[in-house]
Amino acid sequence: MASPTTTADAAIPQAKGADDNYLTHDKGFASWAFTLDHKRIGVMYLASVLTAFALGGFFALAVRTELWSPGKTIMEHDTYNQMFTLHGAIMVFLVIIPGIPAALGNIILPLQLGAKDVAFPKLNLASYYLWVIGCLCMLTSLVTNAVDTGWTFYAPYSTTTQTNVIPAAFGAFILGFSSIFTGLNFIVTIHKLRPPGMTFFRMPLFVWALYSTALIQVLATPVIGITLLMMMVERVFGLGIFDPSLGGDPVLFQHFFWFYSHPAVYIMIVPAFGVISEIIPVFSRKRLFGYQFIAISSLAIAFLGFLVWGHHMFTSGQSVLAGTIFSAITFLIAIPTAIKIFNWVSTMYKGRIHLDTPMLYALAFLWVFTIGGLTGVFLAVMGVDIHLHDTYFVVAHFHYVMMGGAITAFLGGLHYWFPKAFGKMYNERTGRLGAIIVFVGLNLTFFPQFILGSRGMPRRYYNYLPEFQGLHQLSTIGAFTLGIGFLLTAVSLARALKSGKKAPNNPWGSVTLEWTTVSPPPYYNFHTPPPVTAGPYDGYEDLVYDDKIGGYVAKKA
Amino acid sequence: MSEPSTATEGATKASAPPPAAHDHDHGHDDHGHGDAHHEDAIHAANPHLAHHFDTPQQQFDAGKLGIWLFLLTEVLFFAGLFCAYTVYRSMHPEVFVYAHYFLDTKLGALNTCVLLISSLTAAWAVRNAQLAEKGKLMLNIVITIGCACTFMCVKYVEYSHKYHDGLLPGHNFQPKEQIWELDSFRHKHPEAAEYAEKLAKLDEKKNEKAPAAGAAAAKGEEHEEKMERPTEEELEPLIAAGLVGPRSLDPSAHISRPRMAHVFFGIYFFMTGLHGFHVLIGIGVWVWMLLKAMKGQFGPNYFGPIDFTALYWHLVDLIWIYLFPLLYLIH
Amino acid sequence: MSDEKPEAEKPETVEQETSGETSEKPKSEPPAAAKSEPPKAASEPPPASKKSEPAPAKKSEPPRAAADGHGHAHDDHAHGDSHDHGLAHTTPVWLLFAILGALLVLTVATVAVTSIDLGAQGNLVVAMIIATVKAALVCTFFMHLLWDKKFNLVLFLTSVLFLILFLSMATTDRGEYQHLVDEYRAQQLQTK
Repeated sequence: MASPTTTADAAIPQAKGADDNYLTHDKGFASWAFTLDHKRIGVMYLASVLTAFALGGFFALAVRTELWSPGKTIMEHDTYNQMFTLHGAIMVFLVIIPGIPAALGNIILPLQLGAKDVAFPKLNLASYYLWVIGCLCMLTSLVTNAVDTGWTFYAPYSTTTQTNVIPAAFGAFILGFSSIFTGLNFIVTIHKLRPPGMTFFRMPLFVWALYSTALIQVLATPVIGITLLMMMVERVFGLGIFDPSLGGDPVLFQHFFWFYSHPAVYIMIVPAFGVISEIIPVFSRKRLFGYQFIAISSLAIAFLGFLVWGHHMFTSGQSVLAGTIFSAITFLIAIPTAIKIFNWVSTMYKGRIHLDTPMLYALAFLWVFTIGGLTGVFLAVMGVDIHLHDTYFVVAHFHYVMMGGAITAFLGGLHYWFPKAFGKMYNERTGRLGAIIVFVGLNLTFFPQFILGSRGMPRRYYNYLPEFQGLHQLSTIGAFTLGIGFLLTAVSLARALKSGKKAPNNPWGSVTLEWTTVSPPPYYNFHTPPPVTAGPYDGYEDLVYDDKIGGYVAKKA
Repeated sequence: MSEPSTATEGATKASAPPPAAHDHDHGHDDHGHGDAHHEDAIHAANPHLAHHFDTPQQQFDAGKLGIWLFLLTEVLFFAGLFCAYTVYRSMHPEVFVYAHYFLDTKLGALNTCVLLISSLTAAWAVRNAQLAEKGKLMLNIVITIGCACTFMCVKYVEYSHKYHDGLLPGHNFQPKEQIWELDSFRHKHPEAAEYAEKLAKLDEKKNEKAPAAGAAAAKGEEHEEKMERPTEEELEPLIAAGLVGPRSLDPSAHISRPRMAHVFFGIYFFMTGLHGFHVLIGIGVWVWMLLKAMKGQFGPNYFGPIDFTALYWHLVDLIWIYLFPLLYLIH
Repeated sequence: MSDEKPEAEKPETVEQETSGETSEKPKSEPPAAAKSEPPKAASEPPPASKKSEPAPAKKSEPPRAAADGHGHAHDDHAHGDSHDHGLAHTTPVWLLFAILGALLVLTVATVAVTSIDLGAQGNLVVAMIIATVKAALVCTFFMHLLWDKKFNLVLFLTSVLFLILFLSMATTDRGEYQHLVDEYRAQQLQTK
């Protein structure tokens, strides 16, 4: 990092020759299925998550198509309920939560840290298979009698509906453990496998973000596990803890659920912050502004995220006292979040901004996330929330954050690290075009929903008043635009995998450790473990672009 | 070429790979970690050291941090149940007072002692592993497993009693015995027991007199008559015994049992069941450890697995330490 | 951080400590840093001041452990070799038995206390205090937290903190809106 002179070009090739890397190190199905290499596990995660993303996206398009007109457009209302439930459950549990940490994080974190692997490679593989099992459970529900409770599984509906709740809930339960083990692995890796010289405040911010995320994963996820378990047992044995007809308390379920699921929101978004913190300084060719503030604000968000779950329950029957406390603390979260935004913008200020694909995604993120974040502050106000609760305003808000924040950053990170992970360059033109279409589609889909919501269109409704039709149609058009954008991106990346140009070791001129090794990295990550003597964002000026290689190399003294 | 990879996977599995495997791993020169050859030597000397760790100490510390994080998730996993318990106990204390008479404190205390003893042997086993005392290690593991099995047997006895007495959660809650028939209750509150019994008999007679005209009608009838029954003053003995709580809006329902008595058994079975499940997993892991111990794998530089299993075991013990007074010892 | 260092055996262990919690200083420092802490933490019979609970247990128990010949026999041994053996502290057998004794005594106490009426909440509070003392004993000695890295202790306490946060908020809120549930139920009963 500090000494970018150690580009791995100079390193002596290992036993298997210069071309040996983790992708070609072993061949055959078993070498992937039983691999303990963090990069391969990350690649498997990536493929699986992207498949799930396509599936969830398909349900989203089905939902939007149905809403093209009031009443029935293409499906019955029961099917519609199942569609939005599956869309939500798949996107949350299968895509966004594992997306950045498990897929990108697994590939990148040990590299950025300068470690040989994560601390527990076998546990890492196990958590991938837990993901697969969880996914299969959810699919079981999908193909039998798909769950229709909404992704939140609210009791008592979830304990009484005729649809197949148990496989879906059990799937989410299993996925929770997958997430816990990934988080546990990352925490231990960060604590115990840092090479000499890599102090906490020399870690890249992506690592910091994953660390904060991992803390939330470890602390919050068990609670959703027990909640879903209780819900399932209640459904089977009639426990009477949540179901009011048995003397139970449905509001208690919401407490249980949101004690995890609000922190889970930060499991989804904090890694996205990490990705953006990596991309922005690189493409501004400037040292990151306010490194320590961004690092600490991740931890602050993680901590505050635990204290605000009740703001999902302002209209649930929760007491005014609890509502007031939760509302007040919710405002506080805006502070560390804004610190990050300001620092990113300050980083770009007077930088030499290169509008490559990852940077386009990062800029889209800044725009979209700011809207999503600020509308979140509206919703934190109890009085306003009474009006907006369960309307499309909320839907728009969290899609701006989840989809516009997490997914945009995920795609940005994917494009940023793609050359490193796969050793191939994608076509910059289609990459940028994809980013732009996604950005336009996103705003077109979700901005009308703010208006719909503030005018009173409730979420999850199958039917609506004719006066809402125009905005709904606009939103549907946006959804298909998004679909086209994703498709284009997918084709672009697939083509790059097949026939992309060979990637240089450092195509963007980054200074974090992963770029000091070859692309794609060798089996043990570094031929020569890089010495760490300074902070993670120093030394952009020591790199020059080399036309011959198509990437950056150290400036000759 | 699969050979080096298999070897390294072997190394990660900590099952004594040929030292040659590490050539691949550490073939590089000087790299800031210190002397590469020195590392090779460490790996050669420690067959259980995984390839990505540099020293046994690092591996042990990583494992220890990992298991502590896991214990942290376990605590929060049980948090949901403790939360449900707290909420229902604070809102419906009479349910808990009522229901605990159906539990056998002696068996609970016995199980507590059994678990505590197994905790001792688990902690001792760690010491044995550290000192490479193979025989004692195996003995202690066997005792631990024995205690765990005893615990599960006692649980089985308790559960089967509950099952036969109809003390099951939810709709299946059909207690065969009334609370005044329980020795534990009679002994403690003779007056309340007699009074409750008297009221219940009164109730029965009234019901007999009432014309039996369909289940629904009978139910309504029953209710009406109950509503006429004693005022709070008359219920004094029951209140004193703690069987009438702040939410006993229709005291009539509380003569034989509080309205939400079944919730206690829901929580009871869930908490003890989940705990028992952890015990079963613990038994499985201990058996695995026993097999490893038999191979003589443990010594001063490699006793992590025993230590981590013991930590898990102590956590299971810790949870029981709280469950015992919360479920069995209600005043 | 780590309590005892097998320095003589393998110096590189100390170097690796940089990847532990205190890694501000790279290479040269650690040996000193690692050495400066241990003496307190690792000195063999744990200082009673460390935790308030263990103190009474320790004082009352030694005779018991001494009576147990087996446990006592290893006592000296433990003192002798705990510094030479590997990666973590070795707990002496007499201490293990002492803790078990204390735990059993406390179990008896908690059962006994049930028969004394200490008021509606009093019994619960006492039972919880006893359980917490027991838990503290198990954590401190059986689970080696006394000699372990402090970060592990912090982690464990964090879990307890979040447990309390969860319990207290949910229970507080439930208490606050319970009157609505009560009113609704009273209404229902009346209409019947």
